[in-house]
Amino acid sequence: MTSLAILEKETALKPTGAAGQTAPATGSVQVRDLEHTYDASGRTTKALEGIQLDIAPGRFVVIVGPSGCGKSSLLMMMTGLLRPSSGTILCGGRPMTEPDPDVVGVVFQEASLYPWLTAQDNVEFPLSLRRMPKAERAKRARDRLALVGLNGFEDRYPHELSGGMKQRVSIARGLVQDPPILMLDEPFAALDEQTRISMGDELLRIWERTGKTVIFVTHSLTEAAYLADEIIVMSARPGRIIDRIEVDLPRPRTYEMMSTPRFAELRERIWSQIRTQVVE
Amino acid sequence: MSGTVPSAKSGRSGHGLLTWLLGLLVLFGAWQAAYVGELLDPMLLPSVPEVLATAAELIRQPAFLGHAGVTLLEVAAAFAIAVPTGIILGIAIAESPYWSAVLKPVVFLVFSIPKTIFLPMFILAFGINFSQKVGFGVFSTIFIVLISAFSALESVKSEHVRVARAYGATLRQIAFRVYLPSMAPILLEAVRLAMIFNLTGILLAEMYGSRAGLGQLVSNWGENFMLRELLAGILIISAGAILFNEAVRWFETRCEHWRA
Repeated sequence: MTSLAILEKETALKPTGAAGQTAPATGSVQVRDLEHTYDASGRTTKALEGIQLDIAPGRFVVIVGPSGCGKSSLLMMMTGLLRPSSGTILCGGRPMTEPDPDVVGVVFQEASLYPWLTAQDNVEFPLSLRRMPKAERAKRARDRLALVGLNGFEDRYPHELSGGMKQRVSIARGLVQDPPILMLDEPFAALDEQTRISMGDELLRIWERTGKTVIFVTHSLTEAAYLADEIIVMSARPGRIIDRIEVDLPRPRTYEMMSTPRFAELRERIWSQIRTQVVE
Repeated sequence: MSGTVPSAKSGRSGHGLLTWLLGLLVLFGAWQAAYVGELLDPMLLPSVPEVLATAAELIRQPAFLGHAGVTLLEVAAAFAIAVPTGIILGIAIAESPYWSAVLKPVVFLVFSIPKTIFLPMFILAFGINFSQKVGFGVFSTIFIVLISAFSALESVKSEHVRVARAYGATLRQIAFRVYLPSMAPILLEAVRLAMIFNLTGILLAEMYGSRAGLGQLVSNWGENFMLRELLAGILIISAGAILFNEAVRWFETRCEHWRA
């Protein structure tokens, strides 16, 4: 495949950068020779194979692939929550052998907010783990809630918020420590179509305001084409990267772009890649 | 904007007390009506005012208070042993895949046996004394606490643990900031249920060969056909049990939003 050749050329061009520097982490992400196998019911399964990734700071990268391809696992490895069998992952130049909230903020699928905490306290949670003084973390959390458009909702409990609002709180929580990288694991999968689109716009707005590197996993091709600078397409298990697509749609993205031929072309290209995987 | 906001807190305070008083009124009304209409032998059913007056008298009698003190001490001791032991043991069992597989079925099996049939064995083992009462109270209570602890631990969502890990929580922080609040509603319920099982066990142990305690008193009054005292005693014990139950429930409703 041509795309793979391109990938190899790229990895060859970029030498592995300065790892383990003490300087403030940047938003770059590098994955080298990542493989993952696991044992389940007496059988060894290869989940991920030969993953190489280079993501420059400030990029909006979307990972798509057929279900079960390991895209969520790959993301969890990049957050440091899961250990790959082999290979290295550097986020902001730091090896991600365990979660590092200074570098990576994580937004999970729905229901990851603590139901016993208010929106404000949920956003403060990461800061309170590090014993930041109450006044300072309250201010930071309020700022982040305002950033995601939720001022006035600080004292609401999750069950008093709509699905979209809950995910806004999750995004605010992911950004509260001001990490250079934000990773989102199918964050809008449980939302209805309309809310999903408006949340996408919201995320793009936040991304443009903050300049974070965003890595976004989804199974929605429309979402991928609408949001991304670059789309990474994965194969069925064992998950490999089979295509990298630069999205040249202008920014800011608008709803109308979804009906342009270029958008359809993009979706078609992703779909043709994924379809071959699904059929098999 | 993204959808509507589901309705905020639904009003509930106030209602509780009212329905409660109403229930009491209906109960006493029906009782008094039965008395006036002579539905039962007056020997078996004294009037409401008589019984209430007896109850008021009883709670001023040092002898009665002495018996109540004995029971209260036994109940408190059994409760203080059974609940923390049950919770800690339950969590320890449920956290270990091995001990879960071995002990959970045993606990569920024993739970289904009525504990009362073991009372004679406790008498044989301990004699008739304080430790026999407390021991039987613990035995009556601990299985419901164990089972509640199992389900409390199951109610901890792995997503919630993962979030804490992603933000660098230590094991201690995960235990106190994620596990504890996740389990709290079920554990509070366990406290309520435990008290019901505990009281039943202790009172039964007192009724069955004993020299002191409310259970012994009530059983004595029954044997001597002292219906006024018997019913007054029942009222007082019921009031105590209900008060405890409602106090814990009040706590539960205070943290209601974390069940949703």
